[in-house]
Amino acid sequence: MAFAVAVDIGGTFTDLVAYDHENHRVAYAKSPTTYGNFVEGILDCFNKVKLQPEAASFVNHGTTLVINALIQRKGAKAALVTTTGFRDVLEIARGNRPDPFDLHYRRDDPLIPRPLRFEVPERIGSQGEIVTPLDSAALTALAGKIKSLGIEAVAIFFMNSYANPVHEEQAAAALRALLPGVFITCSTELTREWYEYERTSTVAANAYVGPQVTTYIRRLEDDLASQGFSGTLYMMGSNGGLLSVERTCRQPVGLVESGPIGGCIGAGAYAETLGLKNVIAFDMGGTTAKCALVEDGRFSVDSIYYAGGYVKGFPIKSSVINIVEVGSGGGSIAWLDPQNRLSVGPQSAGSTPGPACYGTGGTEPTVTDANLVLGRLNPDRFLGGELRLDTAAARKAVQKIGAPLGYAGADGLTRMADGIIALATVIMAGAIKTISIEHGRDPREFVLFCYGGGGPLHASALARELSIPTVVIPPEPGNFSAVGMLLADARLDVSKTFTGRLSDTTVASLKDAFADMEAEARATLVRDFGAGEVLFERFGEMRYVGQRHNIKVPLPDTADPAAIRTSFDRDYKRRYGHADARANAEFQALHLSAFSRMRRPELKWLPRAQGGSATPQRRQVYFGAAGTLDAAVFDRTALPVGFKGQGPALIEEYGSTTLIWPGDRFEVGTFGELRIQCGQG
Amino acid sequence: MQEIVRSKDVAPELDPITLDPITLEVIRHGLVSITNQIDANIKRTAFSPYIYEYNDFAVGLVGADGQLIAQCTGGMPPFVADSVGMAVRDGIQIYGKARLHHGDVVLCNHAAVQGQHLNNTVMYTPIYVGPGRSTLIGFFAINVHWIEIGGIQSNSTDIFMEGLQLRSIKLWSKGEPIEEVYRIIENNTRMPNELMGDIAAQLAGCLLGRDLTAELAEKYGVAAFNGAVERILDQSEAAARAFIRAMPDGVYRCDTWLDNDRSGSDEPVPIKVKVIVEGDELTVDFSEIAGQAKGAINSGYYGGGQTIARVAFKYLMGAGEMANEGTFRPIKLVLPLGKLISADPTAPMFMYPTPFPTVIDAVIKALENALPSRVPGGHFGTHSGVRFYGRRADGSFFDTHDSGHGGWGACATHDGAGPFRTMAHGDTRIIPLELQESLMPFRIESFSLREDSAGAGKFRGGLGFRKCYRILRPCLLGTNLDRTKFPPWGVQGGKDAKPGRFMLTKAGATTEQSVEKENAYKLEPGDLVSVETGGGGGYGAPSERALELIQRDLDGGYVTRAAAERDYGVRVGADGKARR
Repeated sequence: MAFAVAVDIGGTFTDLVAYDHENHRVAYAKSPTTYGNFVEGILDCFNKVKLQPEAASFVNHGTTLVINALIQRKGAKAALVTTTGFRDVLEIARGNRPDPFDLHYRRDDPLIPRPLRFEVPERIGSQGEIVTPLDSAALTALAGKIKSLGIEAVAIFFMNSYANPVHEEQAAAALRALLPGVFITCSTELTREWYEYERTSTVAANAYVGPQVTTYIRRLEDDLASQGFSGTLYMMGSNGGLLSVERTCRQPVGLVESGPIGGCIGAGAYAETLGLKNVIAFDMGGTTAKCALVEDGRFSVDSIYYAGGYVKGFPIKSSVINIVEVGSGGGSIAWLDPQNRLSVGPQSAGSTPGPACYGTGGTEPTVTDANLVLGRLNPDRFLGGELRLDTAAARKAVQKIGAPLGYAGADGLTRMADGIIALATVIMAGAIKTISIEHGRDPREFVLFCYGGGGPLHASALARELSIPTVVIPPEPGNFSAVGMLLADARLDVSKTFTGRLSDTTVASLKDAFADMEAEARATLVRDFGAGEVLFERFGEMRYVGQRHNIKVPLPDTADPAAIRTSFDRDYKRRYGHADARANAEFQALHLSAFSRMRRPELKWLPRAQGGSATPQRRQVYFGAAGTLDAAVFDRTALPVGFKGQGPALIEEYGSTTLIWPGDRFEVGTFGELRIQCGQG
Repeated sequence: MQEIVRSKDVAPELDPITLDPITLEVIRHGLVSITNQIDANIKRTAFSPYIYEYNDFAVGLVGADGQLIAQCTGGMPPFVADSVGMAVRDGIQIYGKARLHHGDVVLCNHAAVQGQHLNNTVMYTPIYVGPGRSTLIGFFAINVHWIEIGGIQSNSTDIFMEGLQLRSIKLWSKGEPIEEVYRIIENNTRMPNELMGDIAAQLAGCLLGRDLTAELAEKYGVAAFNGAVERILDQSEAAARAFIRAMPDGVYRCDTWLDNDRSGSDEPVPIKVKVIVEGDELTVDFSEIAGQAKGAINSGYYGGGQTIARVAFKYLMGAGEMANEGTFRPIKLVLPLGKLISADPTAPMFMYPTPFPTVIDAVIKALENALPSRVPGGHFGTHSGVRFYGRRADGSFFDTHDSGHGGWGACATHDGAGPFRTMAHGDTRIIPLELQESLMPFRIESFSLREDSAGAGKFRGGLGFRKCYRILRPCLLGTNLDRTKFPPWGVQGGKDAKPGRFMLTKAGATTEQSVEKENAYKLEPGDLVSVETGGGGGYGAPSERALELIQRDLDGGYVTRAAAERDYGVRVGADGKARR
């Protein structure tokens, strides 16, 4: 009865990791995601690892349910209730055109259409004062209308509620009483920050996904319970921490990036255990590559997220791990424009039709096809041999774009394939630069930590592009998101608007504000997780007086204005290269992160059992300027801790292949991780 | 002086060994990502809302001869056309390359060079690479709208009343700041703190951009870098020529008018545009446009007419192609000097972009029948500015510019969008109402889409908005609304949209009065200012509009029953259902 279980439901596969705390046994399972009833896929995984759900003490669960519902517009029939005069805030948005030269630009439609956006008389002033009382008779009449329309969820937004939420709270209580069974949510339950569009958009998204998420989680609980599970179900929040079921059902938007979060948590846990101060977590899958920074075991968290992207999507004010994503994955298509300019992605062949080499109807050249042409993938061992790759089809696809560029013959084919990888590498390196250099960090001071199906294959080339000396590949790179979920802490993020110039008086009220936020967060973690020790991190959103953009500054000492000023100047200078000693600094918001450590597996037990032959096979592999070389091909499960080797080499395992370049040296570490020291050039 | 001289010694032959198609793409990605990275930094560090909220700046990389190579993706349209290149070419002309050293930083806002209001100031620094930094490969340049540069700010009658002119002045020399120039600037602005903060951000961006570009060039070698630049320009030119060649040859026209020239006259200002498509060249002929104005709405030949022609072309080509010198090579300009958009450098230019949205849209409209699937209905086409200013209860000054969002035109495949700002604006955002209310002496009583403001059509235009301000303390009002007499047009049989309308209801009064072009109008507590912005023009005959779209508009209240019956010829029954 001491198994910890993590379940990650992705677009293609459902992954499960189970860990026995008493005997330190670990088991992995992968099963196709079962659309329609996701629980079937989970139970199938339990069967594969021969584990009864009743043996699990808790299940940590990450899912792409929320983001998929938002992007594919498969949410509930939701209504919006606003202050009289403001129902169109949701549709007008911020009135900007992120693609400035597109004459035909339009934003995605709002989640809640105009006929379902209603107004009630009430008004709070900018200082929180009540200008017009809430008209409860109008609200009661509106409830009748909402009922008659068959609405499943209601979002409430009132102007200036960030300064005084009393009307939103009254309206929510009244509608909950009048509309039993309808999902009711108000903006200040989700964020206490100002900006009416962002709050409206957030609460609309919360209502839109609320009924679906609630139903899903309750059903999952019931189905697991009927299989004997009597432990606790936790959900993976976008902030990188576990959320209780009760909280998730109130704030389902907190799951918006629940899927990819696991890998970042895992990277943080490994970094801490391996004593790595600064790590770039890099995840390359089929359609995209994602990266995040982990410093001192912690990743940075943003308080705004654009569902569907900044260009056409909408904002959600919620703590979301800061991930930069680019359209460059194994399935990304290489193509030429009418001027024969080469691009890679963002279009992806996905899983259907798939890369040309899958033999499932794809004819366009993809990154995976290029890797196969260069000998970097084994056509007979892809996904453990479950999918045989068609090298001739890959060659033909790559040739298709090589010919117009003048790359002919066998040598030309190789150079073209190498070019596709080179361009994909530049694009992925660009994502890493965005998350590091744009935040004032030098990537050369980081270790590149790579996972996902494609990460280990491109890791060393990326490290060279960025002059990063060390690469680490964890065990199970193909299941790493689920592994990370097993390692998550309980976490709660709260924030509120707090304005004022940095001075003794603001610092005094800042201390009080944090004390209130901390008491509330502690009580929640104790209630939901039975937390013992609760740790806090405090941040201020600050800027120079007169600026319009804030930076998030850690506030380890909230009592001393001089220390806060030093912290702000240092972060500002690191990020932008200059600081202004003369200008005053001011606050815009406060953020608090509260943590409680859960019982974690020990990392040294996570690698799979050893097996296979340690004697390498050999294969011809293309290595850029060094040409085609005879490379050793290892089976990763056969390599013992302490094993050392050097490039040119390949290390193959289920779901992933690690490429070791000439000049690189590698070693299998204590925790089963591959540590690669990159050569130059 | 403005023409580009291509010196033979820096334009190498393409060498297949040093420059293959893949290295070319890697360098192209690198250049765009550098300008975008600097763009992101400026936005975050700038002090003035012009930069952060309006994105009133642009980041560019310019070649050793002043040719525009790459720019950030989201720059302000009037800057995208080559404002940075013009400034660099003036500097080369004045100093010669030999006197532009590593560590020099040069400023230019001169009316004879850029031909826009003096706030628009280009800062640039040369990029040297190779042993001993001996090879000049280009300049890293940033154009920023400086928040305040002196002058009388309104009613100017020549450029000298509008502030400080800096013609190719070094701010730094060989890595050292020139204190005297800083002092001149600091003492010639009403807002020294904000301006000096913005200049610090602009400088940091220039220097970082220079270093990143040099690093890229060193990595692949100067020959490959220069070869790639040449090739990038040639490919952009080829793409532009292919685009033009696909249009039928012909002479295309559009005539429209601005309300007046802001000098007190009520005479409409003619905006007459001719576009000639011939093979793979496109000529924009502005010879029949209005002459230089008495009001401060003038711009120079390069910063005005050439910029407008290029911005319009960029809109037509679409967002995918990066704007550089090559893109604009096939564009010819016919524009006699002394016109509204080719004014004398001494002419008043403070409100120079006022005609831009209309003139840009007119160039696009001229090609209605050459590019029927691409040219949308007209957009609301005016800055529609609303400004509240005065003193707060504690005596401090406040000043806010607001509004300016209206409907955009419908296109061949869908209804128009918006409300957005004009075609002379980029990715600029509405200032949040909750932020406005916390800083300004007014309460916003409603903020909604303006029903029936769009032009009808097979696809209707986008809607303008209605915003009502209740004044809480005495303050002053300034407004700048145009296109009230000549509304945004429909295309392909689509109908015109409603123009904007700014009204004031005095406290206690029951009637409203128009406040469209006010200067320092005194507002009292209780006054209600109602701002309604124009919609976008329709596309195609209203009779072709699908019934389900008409129904959706009725259900959503985007179109009223009366307007649906009038514009679309439907009958709306008691059940709310439209029938033809």
